[in-house]
Amino acid sequence: MIICEDIHKHYPLGHGRKNVLNGVNFTIQKGQKVGLLGRNGAGKSTLIKLLGGVEFPSSGRIRRHMSLSWPLGFGGGFQGSLTGYDNARFIARIYGQDYDAIKDFVEDFTELGRQLKAPVKTYSSGMRARLAFALSLIIEFDCYLIDEVILVGDQDFQRKCYHELFEKRADRTLVIASHNPATIRKYCSQALIIHDGLAHFYEDVSESLEAYSAL
Amino acid sequence: MAGLTEGWRIQVRVIIALMIRELTTRFGRENIGFLWVMVEPLLFAGLVAIVWAAMRGSETHGISIISFVITGYIPLTLFRSAVSRSVKVFEVNGNLLYHRQIKLIDFIFVRFLIEMIGSLFALMFIGTALYVVGIFPLPYSFGHILLGWLLYSLFTFSMCLVIAPLSEMSDILEKFIPVVTYLMIPLSGTFFLVQWLTPSMREFILWSPPVTAMELLRFGLYGHSMRPYYDISLVVIFSLIMTVIGLALCRKVRRTLVVG
Repeated sequence: MIICEDIHKHYPLGHGRKNVLNGVNFTIQKGQKVGLLGRNGAGKSTLIKLLGGVEFPSSGRIRRHMSLSWPLGFGGGFQGSLTGYDNARFIARIYGQDYDAIKDFVEDFTELGRQLKAPVKTYSSGMRARLAFALSLIIEFDCYLIDEVILVGDQDFQRKCYHELFEKRADRTLVIASHNPATIRKYCSQALIIHDGLAHFYEDVSESLEAYSAL
Repeated sequence: MAGLTEGWRIQVRVIIALMIRELTTRFGRENIGFLWVMVEPLLFAGLVAIVWAAMRGSETHGISIISFVITGYIPLTLFRSAVSRSVKVFEVNGNLLYHRQIKLIDFIFVRFLIEMIGSLFALMFIGTALYVVGIFPLPYSFGHILLGWLLYSLFTFSMCLVIAPLSEMSDILEKFIPVVTYLMIPLSGTFFLVQWLTPSMREFILWSPPVTAMELLRFGLYGHSMRPYYDISLVVIFSLIMTVIGLALCRKVRRTLVVG
């Protein structure tokens, strides 16, 4: 379970502040695939960063009764000046995994070949997504926090992602940030709409999509 | 207890991973790699020692100039480079905060540790080399040298712990740091022994924590050809207070830090 209790988040803006979240409450149960819907700038990324513990809420509390991945597809977690292999080594070290055991999986899953020896900053966003995804699959999290960009690769990559995430790890919890109704309909069983700094949880995806299109 | 040992294991893993990362990004894998970390303090101390020896001859107050300048300058470069490396350390490493087990203090500690190990190796290397050619004394007590070094390191690290979060909170402070580290030189005990000062100056200068560390370090080298003045408890208490303030500031900064 992930429980958010009265989450507020504001950022400094000039001399004042910008309120992004104004009292967000919801509970995500184990195994739910939750689509996170919202317009650009509504606070999807902010909420995901708070869930992942990358940033801290200005007030309120997040209780995590499961292990959460770092937010995938949001650009963080990598070091651009290091190579793909070096990043894999780094992740293996901090999460206590054996690098030799994961190396093959990374090569196989990313299909990046010799590019893995190049600095990550030279990667395209698609290549970056592949690497990020591969590295997060090495560590078995209970819950994955994902931006939809990571799921929109070419056909082959999409199929692989689907297999790893929805077939092999069907019991895991997912939170997928998106503003694309098709993505939500395809992957999710529940949805959370962020609008005006508040969050509404929908047990039914179709219902949430109707509400979203009415915004 | 199980939680504590697990936490410790994660901590060690993170520190090692960050060390390796920092060394690879800073020095690369080619040629001498991480040995570069020794080069800066070595060059600095070596060149200054040569200049001093040229200006003032080989001895001052009955102590060899070369060894005196080297033992003073290497800790000083440790302080200056550790402090300047802790400025804006969170911004540079922000990306890594995506991984929850990595804490702000890990960044500060790792950078300090690299500087510390580098300068310590530099001191041992240059001391041994100059001893072989006969211009560096055989230390009177390695224990005192080590104690002095540890106190100097403790003081430096506690200062980094405060300066790193402060530099994040205020851009103005960042501009002042080079000036402040420069002004610290006369208070650092680099260029004098306390016994050379007047009694009232002695009392005053011992309020500066690095002076105690320098006195112990040099007493360990020269033994009873000098009389050391020191106040160990002052250094420890000062550093502990700075550490507590630094940790509180880190906590405060972390809560509002914006991670790209």
